[in-house]
Amino acid sequence: MTPIVVIVLAAAVAAAIAVSASRYRRSRDGVDSFRRQIDALSPEARRPVVDQVQSAAEANDASSAADEEDDDDGT
Amino acid sequence: MARDLAIDLGTANTLVYMKGRGIVLNEPSVIALNRQTGEVLATGREAWQMIGRTPGYIVAVRPLRGGAITDFEITERMIRLLLQRVGVSRFTRPKVVICVPSAITEVERRAVTDAARRAGAADANLIEQPMAAAIGADLPIDEPVGNMVIDIGGGTSETAVISLGGIVALEAVRVGSFDIDAAIQNYVRREHGIAIGERTAEEIKIAIGSADPTPQESQAEVRGRDLMTGLPKTVVLTPEEIRYAIEDVVSSIVASVIRCLAKAPPELSQDFLVRGMYLVGGGGLLRGLAQRIERETKVPVRMSNVPLEAVVLGAGHVIEHYDALKGMFMGARR
Repeated sequence: MTPIVVIVLAAAVAAAIAVSASRYRRSRDGVDSFRRQIDALSPEARRPVVDQVQSAAEANDASSAADEEDDDDGT
Repeated sequence: MARDLAIDLGTANTLVYMKGRGIVLNEPSVIALNRQTGEVLATGREAWQMIGRTPGYIVAVRPLRGGAITDFEITERMIRLLLQRVGVSRFTRPKVVICVPSAITEVERRAVTDAARRAGAADANLIEQPMAAAIGADLPIDEPVGNMVIDIGGGTSETAVISLGGIVALEAVRVGSFDIDAAIQNYVRREHGIAIGERTAEEIKIAIGSADPTPQESQAEVRGRDLMTGLPKTVVLTPEEIRYAIEDVVSSIVASVIRCLAKAPPELSQDFLVRGMYLVGGGGLLRGLAQRIERETKVPVRMSNVPLEAVVLGAGHVIEHYDALKGMFMGARR
């Protein structure tokens, strides 16, 4: 009888530990993903996208200005 | 390997951002079809030039109205052609993030994601336009302060309060710059008895349209078809007339901004007085609109540096940091 009780108790304790560990991990995951999200939204993280588009726009402006100059020369 | 894409599928224009490359496509959301065969004749700028100028068997349509898909099949074909133009093929299926109005229904959401998947996307996720606009307009949305963004598009106007990477308050109306064009068309028809097309109405709006009196106003000469005689006719329109014509639409946009301000928590409201509200979207370029909103709300209004591209830039940033920001997709926060 006693060994069965011990096994059941051990299984119950192991299950309780597993449940609390997974809950803790889930809550840590939530915190970590929120931190990652906030870090990814920081101005420093956003800078490359803005710079990339601005440099493309400047390149476009420069090429269209050069085209206009060519047109002016031609007329 | 396919480069992931961010798409601003707007009522007026569609912009595509490619991961690592930037904005690779910016065209009107228009498709021209042969009515008899169903064949696509043109998309984007080429199709836009056909609006109102096609023979009977060709139809140039905007498959999105009020930010929602009005014709699923045509939208799917338009997305497929856009994806093909940026290099997506049967063998390169990218992940796609699509910006949509925050007020779209579950059915409309499903329609957009299905259209993108069927058009060649490996995975399609949606993000609210005001959130993408706030990211793209470089607002400090990672901080615990109130950031207010007003996005006035072709078919919708949305105002959102954003703090710590999330939407705190939101107000959306299915009214946008196309409604301003329609109001001008109706006014000219009613008061001057001439019919004008939607492109002419847009040109009038750009030339002399304003939401509030502005310095150096001028008149515009408009040509249309006389409704009584059927002959071409010219009339002169004044800025006051246009302001009167578009008053209902402008009032409805301003009222939605005021409702959003009223929904914002008081702690964030005080931030707006210092930081102001940011105006993005093509509709925000209407002369005097920022001034009108500022006058009615007593809150400073600032124009974004990139009003037309802010939304796709924001979605582009999300695609660049896909794993970290996938929690921001619509449906992911439930």
